[in-house]
Amino acid sequence: MSQGPDFKQRRRVIQGAVAASALSFAPGLMAQAAPVRVGYTMSRTGPWTGGAQVSQEPNFLLWAEQQNAAGGLDIRGVKRRIELISSDDRSDVETVVRTYEKLMGSDKVDMVLPPWGSNANFAVAPLANRFGYPFLAPTALSRRLVEMKLPFFFLLLQQPKSMCDALVDMFKANGVRSVACIYVDDLFGLENYAAFKVALQGTGINLVEDKSYPGGVKDLSPVLRSIKDKNPDAFVGFTYPPDTILASRQSKEIGLNPKIFYASVGTAFPLYKNVMTPAGAEGVMGMGSWNGKTSPGAKAYFDAHLASQKKEPDRWASGACWAGLEILTAAVKQVGLDRKAIRDYVANSTHKTIIGDIRFQGSENVGTPGTVGQWQNGEFEVVWPAARATAKLNPNKSAWK
Amino acid sequence: MALGAWLELIGSGLITGGVYALVALGMNLQYGLMRILNIAHGEFLMVGAYLTWMVHTAVGLSPVLMIPVAFLVLGVAGMAIHFLCFRRLVSTSPNLDIFEARGLMVAFGLMFLVQNLVSWLWGGDLRGYDFLTDPVSVAGAPVAGNKLLVFALALLFSLGMLALLRATLLGKGVRALMQSSVGAQLVGIDTKRLHPMMFGLGLGLSGVAGCLLSMAYTIAPSMGEPYTVTALIVITLGGFGSMGGALLGGLLLGVVEAVGMHYTNPSLKALLSYAVFIAVLLLRPEGLFTRKTRKA
Repeated sequence: MSQGPDFKQRRRVIQGAVAASALSFAPGLMAQAAPVRVGYTMSRTGPWTGGAQVSQEPNFLLWAEQQNAAGGLDIRGVKRRIELISSDDRSDVETVVRTYEKLMGSDKVDMVLPPWGSNANFAVAPLANRFGYPFLAPTALSRRLVEMKLPFFFLLLQQPKSMCDALVDMFKANGVRSVACIYVDDLFGLENYAAFKVALQGTGINLVEDKSYPGGVKDLSPVLRSIKDKNPDAFVGFTYPPDTILASRQSKEIGLNPKIFYASVGTAFPLYKNVMTPAGAEGVMGMGSWNGKTSPGAKAYFDAHLASQKKEPDRWASGACWAGLEILTAAVKQVGLDRKAIRDYVANSTHKTIIGDIRFQGSENVGTPGTVGQWQNGEFEVVWPAARATAKLNPNKSAWK
Repeated sequence: MALGAWLELIGSGLITGGVYALVALGMNLQYGLMRILNIAHGEFLMVGAYLTWMVHTAVGLSPVLMIPVAFLVLGVAGMAIHFLCFRRLVSTSPNLDIFEARGLMVAFGLMFLVQNLVSWLWGGDLRGYDFLTDPVSVAGAPVAGNKLLVFALALLFSLGMLALLRATLLGKGVRALMQSSVGAQLVGIDTKRLHPMMFGLGLGLSGVAGCLLSMAYTIAPSMGEPYTVTALIVITLGGFGSMGGALLGGLLLGVVEAVGMHYTNPSLKALLSYAVFIAVLLLRPEGLFTRKTRKA
C-alpha cells in the first residue's frame, strides 16, 4: 500500500518527538535499554546435569533474579539489568567450547559465567585467557588447571591437595591406621587419588585397596566386597553423585561398616539425605565446606535459594558458586565492565564472601582451607578443621541404618 | 576365594544380569518381530522409572504397585507410537531393509524427544528414594531387599514373556511372524493388530524395568542410553529374535562383568563387555543360544 507525503511527514514528527522525550528521560531509560549481557552454557541434559542443576545454574538464576529485583547490577554506580544468555551444553565438552567461542568471540557478551565440572572448565580455561574474559569457576578441581597459570581463570573450590591434606590430617588425629580408596577414572578422580596418595606418605596409614571405576558404573559390590574382606578403618571414594549413592547403598547391602565412610561429590547434596534417609546418612563424611551456620550471609543465601529455587543448595560447591558471584558483583561495582580491570581486582584483593575470606594465588583460592563435612542429624556439618567446624566430628560412624 | 565369596559375586552378577535381560527382552521382541531396532528403548525405561518415583514420592504408593501402572502406561504409549510412527513407515517403505534403516532413524528421533521431554517435565536433577534397602541373607550372602525383589521380578517377567510366546496361541502367532512375515499373513495372522500390540508389550516391559531400577538406583534423564547399549550387547549374545537367548545372554553378561570386575578393575567393565561382544560376533555371529540354522 502506498503512503502519501502527509502520512510520512506525520510519522517523522512522531518519531522525532519520541526520540526527544526519550533523551530527556536519560540516563534512566538508557540504562533499561542496555542490559548487561552475561553468557554461559550449562548441562541441562546428559550425565553432568545432576551436578550442574544443583551446584551451579540455580545460583546463576538466583543471582540474576536478586540483582534485577534490586534494579539491576551496580556497575560503578549505574544499575543495569542482567540478561542471562544461556544454552544447554548437553554435557558435551565440544559443545561447551564452541558455545563459549561464540559467546566471547562473535556475540561479545559483557561477562561470562563458567560451565559445570572439571572437564568442561579444563576445556574452556585456555579460551578465557585468549579472549580475556575472567572465569570464576566453582566446580573445577584440578591441579593441572592451576599449573597452567592462566591469568583470567580462577578456581573457587579448594583443590585436591588441600582437601586431601585436611582428610588425612583428620585421619591422623583420629587414629586411622588403614584405608581403602575407590576413584572415578577421570580428571577429578585421578587428581584426587594422586593427591590422596601423596598426603598419605609418611603417615603410617596403610592403603589396603585402591581401585578405579568408570563413570556411570552400575555395580560396585565386587570391589566393595574385597574392601570389606580387608576391614579398613576408613573408606574413601572420589566419586560423582550417582556413584556416591551407589557406593553408600551397596556398602549398606554388603555390610561394609568402616569407622569412617567418606565419599565426594553428591555427599553434600540434599538428595543424599533424601535417598539414604537422615538415619542412613548419619555419620557419612564427604566434601563439604559450609552450611547455614557458617556465616549470617550463608544463612541468608540458603534461605533465599530455598525460597527462589524451591530446593536447598548443596553444602559444598553451591557456597563457592555464590561466593564467586559475590566477588563478580563487587568487582563490577568497583571497576565496571573492563574485563582486565575485573581480572586484576579478582586477582589482587581479599574477598569477603559467605564462605569466608577468599584470595587467589595465581588461579588457586588459597583463602579457603581444605575441609571435611559429615551428616549429623539431617544436616551436613563442617567437622574439620576445628576452626571451620560447625559441629563436632563423630569419628566412629555406626553401622548403616 | 572362599565358596561363600564366589556365591556372593555370582549372585551380584545375576541380579545385574536379570535387569539386563528384562531390558533386552523387550527390545529383542520389537526387533525380532518387526525389525524395529528401537534405540529409544532405554528412554522408555527411564520414563517408567520417573513415573514410579513421581507417584511414590508424591502420594506414597509402593513402587511394587507401580509395576502394573508403568506396564500399562508404557504399553499404551507404545501402541500409540507404533500407530503414529512405524505404521506409516511400514506402508511407505519399499522393502524390509529400507524400513529397518528408516525405523532406526525414527527411534533416534524418539530418543532425543523423550529424553528432552523428561528433562523439561522433571528437570535434570538426580532423583531417588529409599525402598527396601536393608540387606537380607540369601544362603549366607547379604543382598539388599530391593535388589532381590528386582531380580525376582525381572526373572518372573522374563519367564512370563517366554511362557507367553511358547505356550499360547498368541505366542505361536508372534513366533510365526518372527520366522516369516509373509507366511504368517498367508495363514491368517493379523499383523496389523499384532505389531502394535507387541510393540506396546516391548515398551511395557521397558516400563517395568524402569520401575524396578528406580527401586535400587538413582534416576536421571540420561539413565536410559547405557541400558540400550547393554541390551544391544545382550541381544547379540543371545541371538537376534531369540527370547530365551536374551534371558541367558543378560544373565551371562551380568556374571562376566561381576567376576571380571573382581579380578581386574571396574574401569575395565566396558572392555570386558565389548570383548565378549566382539568375540561372539567373530566366532558365533548367530548368537550363543540359537541354532545354527537361524540366520544371524
